[in-house]
Amino acid sequence: MYSSEQLGVSIGNVPLRLHIPEAELREKARLRYAQFLEEAQGGLPVFTTCAGATDDHGTGTSGHAGDFVYTWEDSSLRLNDTQAHFEGVRHEYGLDSLIRVLLSMLLARQRGFLLHAATVMNNGRAYVFTGKSGAGKSTIASLSPEGTVLTDEISLLKHVDGGWHAFGTPFWGEFRAEGANVHAPIAGLYFLSQASEDRVEKVSLRESIRAILPNVLFFSRELQVTQDLLCLLNEFASSVPCWRLFFRRKRSLWNVITA
Amino acid sequence: MSSETITLNPQLAWREIEGRVVVISPADSVVHELNETATFIWKQAESGRSVAEIADLLSLEFCVEPTQARSDTEELLRMLLQKGLVTS
Repeated sequence: MYSSEQLGVSIGNVPLRLHIPEAELREKARLRYAQFLEEAQGGLPVFTTCAGATDDHGTGTSGHAGDFVYTWEDSSLRLNDTQAHFEGVRHEYGLDSLIRVLLSMLLARQRGFLLHAATVMNNGRAYVFTGKSGAGKSTIASLSPEGTVLTDEISLLKHVDGGWHAFGTPFWGEFRAEGANVHAPIAGLYFLSQASEDRVEKVSLRESIRAILPNVLFFSRELQVTQDLLCLLNEFASSVPCWRLFFRRKRSLWNVITA
Repeated sequence: MSSETITLNPQLAWREIEGRVVVISPADSVVHELNETATFIWKQAESGRSVAEIADLLSLEFCVEPTQARSDTEELLRMLLQKGLVTS
């Protein structure tokens, strides 16, 4: 069993063991990740210290050679092969941001990545809609049947069981919901383009990769990790149908998606 | 420039996708997509060929006069050099 300071969380089948000594932050995290709590032992230990506190579990974010270090506002993340450290966490939103960065790094080792995208389930398959802020991700979510939206902000895409799946995440934009810890095979990836009509256009492999790249949550500056990402996106776009979706702000958009 | 050998910048990630080379700079996440001719030159440079050799191969591959091929090769290599994608 976990100690009272620990919180087991699994997002996209990536288990994390969050050590959060501060009770208030821990409770907020428990609520935020309620659908993603996992009591089983295991998972990467993540030692969290709030702003002003001292990290008693390692060397702090000064780190060692080979560690991945990322700084966000006044907080920072350090990751090595066996554990991660979050330092200077001020609130649950800061914790959330560091978890996103951490997940992006861990997923890169598991044929997965995080994408700025909304994901909607329909008949057991996942439809992924990507675009920058303002492209219409939350709009798509709001125009989808109740209970079908896995996220309107950050989608977790991962190769499992011989195919690409989209996983529910606790990362939300305007269309706030609890999220669901489920996954489904991806039916298609759609690049959002608001228009005066609803239609889809097939997008070539090269164009797909070019359109996906700016929307991937990617924080490493290492050559090999970048090279691996390029290979992974090539693999993804070669096996998942990619479309440009021209859509009006109406539910009728689903007619062209599932046609 | 003709006897020079061009080296791909080893700090860049790249991959050929549908016949075009896509290059990413990890330092600033800038993405470059090369056109057909630049892709050809890139792949010859990767093989360690000199500028003159690349120009000769370009002439054969794209059926252009050797002088035109040399001019095109040098112009594209200057562009690749300016963008930091290759080093001489």
